[in-house]
Amino acid sequence: MENQEERQTEGVDPQEPDQGEVTARIRARFVDASVRRGNAVGCESVIAELDSLHPFMTFLRDDPELAFDYLVDVTAVDRLKLDEAIRYAVVYQLYSYKFNRRFSVSVPVPEADPRIESVVSVWPGANWLEREVYDMYGIVFDGHPDLRRILMPDDFGSHPLRKDYPLHGKGERDNFVF
Amino acid sequence: MKARTVNTTQIDKLAETDLEEIRNERVTFERTPDMPSEHMILNFGPQHPATHGTLHIVLELDGEKVVGATPHLGYLHTGFEKLGEYRSYNQFVTLTDRMNYLSPLSNNIGYSHAVEKLMDIEITPRCRNIRVALAELSRLADHLLCVGTAALDIGAFTAFLYGFRAREVLYDLFEAVCGTRLTTSYTRVGGLLRDVPDNFAEMARESVEETLTAASEIDRLLTHNRIWRDRTEGVGVLSAEDAVAWGATGPVLRASGVDWDIRKNEPYLGYEGYDFDIPIGRNGDAYDRYLVRMEEIRQSAEIVRQAVENMPSGPVNAEEEHAVLPEKSEVYESMESLIYHFKMTMEGHGPTPPVGEVYAATEAPNGELGFFIVSDGSREPYRIRVRPPSFINFSLFPMLIKGHMLSDVVAILGSLNVIAGELDR
Amino acid sequence: MGLEDQLQENVMTTKVDAMVGWARKNSLWPMPFGTACCAIELMATLASRFDLARFGAEAIRFSPRQSDLLIVSGRVSIKMMPVLKTIYDQMPEPKWVVSMGACASSGGVFNTYTLVQGVDQYIPVDVYIPGCPPRPENVIQALMKIQEKVAQAKAN
Repeated sequence: MENQEERQTEGVDPQEPDQGEVTARIRARFVDASVRRGNAVGCESVIAELDSLHPFMTFLRDDPELAFDYLVDVTAVDRLKLDEAIRYAVVYQLYSYKFNRRFSVSVPVPEADPRIESVVSVWPGANWLEREVYDMYGIVFDGHPDLRRILMPDDFGSHPLRKDYPLHGKGERDNFVF
Repeated sequence: MKARTVNTTQIDKLAETDLEEIRNERVTFERTPDMPSEHMILNFGPQHPATHGTLHIVLELDGEKVVGATPHLGYLHTGFEKLGEYRSYNQFVTLTDRMNYLSPLSNNIGYSHAVEKLMDIEITPRCRNIRVALAELSRLADHLLCVGTAALDIGAFTAFLYGFRAREVLYDLFEAVCGTRLTTSYTRVGGLLRDVPDNFAEMARESVEETLTAASEIDRLLTHNRIWRDRTEGVGVLSAEDAVAWGATGPVLRASGVDWDIRKNEPYLGYEGYDFDIPIGRNGDAYDRYLVRMEEIRQSAEIVRQAVENMPSGPVNAEEEHAVLPEKSEVYESMESLIYHFKMTMEGHGPTPPVGEVYAATEAPNGELGFFIVSDGSREPYRIRVRPPSFINFSLFPMLIKGHMLSDVVAILGSLNVIAGELDR
Repeated sequence: MGLEDQLQENVMTTKVDAMVGWARKNSLWPMPFGTACCAIELMATLASRFDLARFGAEAIRFSPRQSDLLIVSGRVSIKMMPVLKTIYDQMPEPKWVVSMGACASSGGVFNTYTLVQGVDQYIPVDVYIPGCPPRPENVIQALMKIQEKVAQAKAN
């Protein structure tokens, strides 16, 4: 947890030279939040550490200057083998029909209690995407209407896309009963 | 949703008055209000002909009316994304074919596009044109099969055979280009497996002709066919607002009247240089989705013609020795090329993007096909995520089927064109 | 044989097994268990150019109760395997199984946590077709192999 704080303090720098239009607008609205520049290639991106995700996402959707009305994708990255203090990151890809602009938001999720707010109430299309992240990484989406496994069988014990889960599985494919 | 300055093709429909007449002929049955009833649970799939093998939907029925549907997926979950973390960037191309077996080339191209964006590689003009031609040819193949199986599931077998006859000609072309009919694995990071054969232009023209013939035959068979229209019109209506909110893409989105296509809005591979239209629908029902696909076949045929006619000469691989295999003739003659060749092919070696992440989207036949790649600077992707169009489009299904009849399940499924490999990955 | 002399050319005598085998092999009713890429090639085999009807096997039945040839075409995951097993069990005897393609036969290129590494671990397979996916000609050859086997089966 010490690392985490260190990371935060070194990351927050509102005077970053290549701050984009979207990031600037977000920072003006969420002054207290830690919104760092992400490292996505080809589109603007932020790494946002927030107390509450829901108002943030609603702002991105409803703000007339941003209008990210299309949630392209929700996925997660297990950064166990990367040099990151916080293990998981949930990544949202957004698109605005109005401005023909893409944007990517990455939200770190700690390993100890992998939870994040659901955005199904903002974009209904997030429903299955969040279920898939839950299935693959075990990240719980608070407020999701129907959080069940989606791809793996219901009684599957692990979350296969975690980095500490082996590619060939833990014997599930050889030992299952009909 | 306001249409932007994109040319659109209006889709002709039968006169509305004709339709009114047909509708008024039908007798409606009202249920006796005090009749006791309970809902029935019906298992649809996973082995049902219309699910093409791998979907499972639990339907809640009130008589023949569907009041609720719960899809269960994952019957074809293969672990592509996990496997991708253990494969080099070029090896993963092989897996992208098997994700979408109706139009594997679109997936090859979409994937390579993402890696090239991450590595900042500019591909050659010839490579661009070849990729456009092949992407559109595979769109033809995909739409033909989609329309064919949608009709097959409803009971019209002939359209399927027409479609497959043209697909065989397309298969011949893919085989001449890539060496195999289905699992093409044709693209490489920064280029292609090899140049197209000399008679590529001729073969492309021939297969386009064959596809257009099949399309017009299917058109004559279905478009004004009363049974087909009865089964698809007004079935599974998706409003433009819902389509956007749920993240629908491709023909499903456009049939709802949203004028959006990545090829027009965020052109890649030089699509801005082609003259083509984006068809949009009006009602967002299964029939409109069929019409949009049929029109896309004609537009894609036009793009193929243009791509082939203006095919530039020159190499197909970018001159990026850290990412692309050198010419074979040079490998025999020059020391550097030999070293680069080894560095590209030996185990644990290959294209190595810098640290970073990228999301790149292309317009696949079913909608936005995105690849999200996180690189840690090694030879394998740290994380590779596919944004599958079918997955998002299929998540609309419970909403679309509500209130429809049991027999409309297959009609809606067919119109969404769910490809299980991509759905479950 | 005296009997044949009397009946002359109007009647042919044979063994019941041979007769039934001949009839069966020319009217196989396949149950396509198509899950992935191979299913598309199976469709191509059924369509006009390759036309499986020439081998009497065009009567595709999606009900296991009506079919005697199970063609497993495509990847089978651990979630799907119980379904496949149920379908196999539901087919009436005699029945034959073709494992089409590398994935169904051995897991193919997908050596991952979720994929059954060969359906023959759970159901008996008569003919394996290599290829990823196999060409329609391979499927036809597999069908001919099955026909050979069917013709030799006991009619009980």
